[in-house]
Amino acid sequence: MNMDELKAKIEADFKGHILSAFITPQKELIVILELESYLSVCQKLHDIPEYGFQHLSCLTAVDYPKENKITIVNHLWSYQHAHQLTVKLDTVRDYPKAPTVENIWKSANWFEREVFDLYGITFEGHSDLRRIMMPDDYQKYPLRKDFSDDGFIIKPN
Amino acid sequence: MTDLLLSQIRTGQESQFGTDEYVVNLGPQHPSTHGVLRLIVRLDGETVKQTTPVLGYLHRSIEKICENRTYPQCITYTDRVDYVSAMSVNLAFALAAEKLMGIEAPPRAQWLRMIMVELQRIASHLLWMGSFAGDLGALTPLLYGMRERERIIDLFEMTCGQRLTYNYIRIGGVMIDILPEFVSKCRAFLDYFEKCMEEYEELLTYNPIFLERTKGVAVIDPEKGINAGVTGPALRGSGVSCDVRKQQPYLYYEQIKFTEALGTDGDCWSRYRVRMDEMKESVSIVRQCLDRIEPGPIEAKTPPVLKAPAGSEIYYRIESSRGEMGIYLVGDGSAKPWKAKFRCASFNNIYLLDELTRGWKLADIMATLGSLDMIVPEVDR
Amino acid sequence: MITGEKIVQWIAGLVHWIYGVFHISNYANLLDIVVEAVVMFAFVAVFVMFLVWMERKVSAHMQSRIGPNRVGPLGLFQTLADAIKLTIKEDVKPVHRDKIPYFIAPIVAFVATFMGLVVIPFDQGVVVQDLNVGVLYVIAITGFTVIAILTAGWSSNNKYALLGGFRSAAQIVSYEVPLVLSLVPIIMITGKLSLNAIVLYQQQAGYWFVTIQFIAFIIFLTSATAEANRAPFDIPEAESELIGGFHTEYSGVKFAMFFLGEYIAMVVSASVATAVFLGGWLPLPFLHFLHLPGFVWYISKVLFVIYLIMAFRWTFPRLRVDQLMDFGWKVLIPISILNILGTGLAILINQGMK
Repeated sequence: MNMDELKAKIEADFKGHILSAFITPQKELIVILELESYLSVCQKLHDIPEYGFQHLSCLTAVDYPKENKITIVNHLWSYQHAHQLTVKLDTVRDYPKAPTVENIWKSANWFEREVFDLYGITFEGHSDLRRIMMPDDYQKYPLRKDFSDDGFIIKPN
Repeated sequence: MTDLLLSQIRTGQESQFGTDEYVVNLGPQHPSTHGVLRLIVRLDGETVKQTTPVLGYLHRSIEKICENRTYPQCITYTDRVDYVSAMSVNLAFALAAEKLMGIEAPPRAQWLRMIMVELQRIASHLLWMGSFAGDLGALTPLLYGMRERERIIDLFEMTCGQRLTYNYIRIGGVMIDILPEFVSKCRAFLDYFEKCMEEYEELLTYNPIFLERTKGVAVIDPEKGINAGVTGPALRGSGVSCDVRKQQPYLYYEQIKFTEALGTDGDCWSRYRVRMDEMKESVSIVRQCLDRIEPGPIEAKTPPVLKAPAGSEIYYRIESSRGEMGIYLVGDGSAKPWKAKFRCASFNNIYLLDELTRGWKLADIMATLGSLDMIVPEVDR
Repeated sequence: MITGEKIVQWIAGLVHWIYGVFHISNYANLLDIVVEAVVMFAFVAVFVMFLVWMERKVSAHMQSRIGPNRVGPLGLFQTLADAIKLTIKEDVKPVHRDKIPYFIAPIVAFVATFMGLVVIPFDQGVVVQDLNVGVLYVIAITGFTVIAILTAGWSSNNKYALLGGFRSAAQIVSYEVPLVLSLVPIIMITGKLSLNAIVLYQQQAGYWFVTIQFIAFIIFLTSATAEANRAPFDIPEAESELIGGFHTEYSGVKFAMFFLGEYIAMVVSASVATAVFLGGWLPLPFLHFLHLPGFVWYISKVLFVIYLIMAFRWTFPRLRVDQLMDFGWKVLIPISILNILGTGLAILINQGMK
């Protein structure tokens, strides 16, 4: 399916469950979801053969401190139909929580651990949520925009 | 290692005969883990019960650094993300940034990029072959692979002056044009390399000991592989057609004739076979590119300060030597990316290591790790 | 013509004259033994030094490199430099080791293999001690290395070393059987166990045993490679898996002893192979006119067999532990038993025809 057909189909199928769907100037289809329907929409995108998004290419997060949100971004790809989709979910920056998509795509297991480690988003229902890059007893979340190294690195004057 | 991790590992029950399980640390310093990867292996005699990878020993926070550097400055960091196959990561970032900013590189630059990336694929697979055979105990193919890789690196050195971290593929084109003797030397190398491939096939492919070590070991089921995010030759060994060059062609791959190398069984030997075939395909691709390249400019006209429009983002995927490499860039109107994410193939490929090695022997962990072609700087960034 | 016997007599004469100078000729019997041991040790030390250089050069040429070429002409003194380096190295010992076994293990590894050289015939009449149970003695001695390796693995207090020790014990014990079984047909044909007698039989018969017992030769060579812990059977010291295997925690002279022990085991196995299968110090039938002394033939044949063993190491990948056991028990032993049956039948038919 090409981009416009896919957008039309998604808007038709998930009416009321998605916040918005738009095509960017760089020719990518982005769908923004809301917290309640995140899991069910993702499950349908994986299961329904016309979508066929079997491959979770990347799961990451972007920090927008000015809008007080951290956005979780999923990039999906379908091997059968060769179409790409970006699914986003906004979480509140102060208490970031989101459901886990680990049971839909196994690759999300380590991706979500990395997001937890570097951004501090708690994924509910994750089987093994602990830090992956930083040491286990590290207290901060490095990739957030307000991360400071607290004098750990001595900068020359 | 914290108690949390230890307690999670020691949840195995002791068998009825009263034997104890053996927790061995294939620690960060190890000749066979291709870098600083730590594996905590729970063994019952020689049989593996559970493998837990511990990552982060090579975490250099490249993604955070890229948020504080301009787009052209980020290209130098991409070399270090996968230093064995640096041209591929350069290319991924350059293509992503170009699409983000709406820049189109001239044709000669695109052909040059294709030549460099395919030569890099051969070089990376040669290193893989050497270390894979070396892990299994055959120490000779390592040196043969290095001998051939030297010639490719000489070609790169002739072009951009660097042997490992090239910084050659820039946003808008390439750094510098190739010298006139590059074409003849490249063709001479390709002819010589085809003969060498026959030598390697004779030495390894149907060697009974090699077959015993790799046939049937660590089979990746295609469904599980796709679900776990395995990409590249590791997935193609199971018969899944997943080459990004065929599915979402970039550069001029649509105009080039090449076949995707697919395996049949999904075991270590199939993945070995896929990579050997890929090397042959790369040779043919480079030959076609050398035939079709035309003189012309090598850099597009770009503004002096490259800025991405505010609120823009892009996710660009290419087929690097190890699998699918994806770059996610978010622009905010300034000269520096708001977010740069490197989706690296090795990170996902070793997720299945635990499942694949359960019930096999300690020596099979080496064979599996080698056949997945994992490289730690990609895993940790 | 210079023969090995003449050289030995000349050296013996010199030594007895030295006894006379120091007025200790009464103790000649006792001192002879000591002198023989010292001479053997010196010979072995030089030979092993040469072998280490040869291994490095052979492996280098097989891997399209050059190998040592700076220390001495053609790099011949490289091993001397390595030996000096190993002796002046700091002896790093793990704190929680088992002190006495840790100390004894390398000594046993070296001495056990060294003892095997007692029955090897270098030339006609040049044997340290021509035991009439020569073959049996050599096989018994090579079993000693198991103890050394197990002790080393256990006393190092290191999981890798222990794994390496277990693997090695299993491997050596299982490959002893085909080693012995491949020699049994020869013993059946000649009726003697002494290595010197086997060589003399080949001289009288006019042919070497490798021509009629080729399968036994191959089995013996394979088992000997496994006994010496060399690739493709070098699981115990698999560098890419267990770093050092059983000798991970040894450094300096102790490591040198293990290293030496491995090479001497190789020399002993190669010597037994040449004596039994390749005719020992007998010249090649069509090169008889060269009139070379017997020990030159002997050394060149031993070097040929060692070259084969070295070529195996740099060509084949390593076998996994269970595949190694499978190969030893399920392949080599049945073939060698069939070989014994076949030889027995051939002997009976031969006798029946007479």
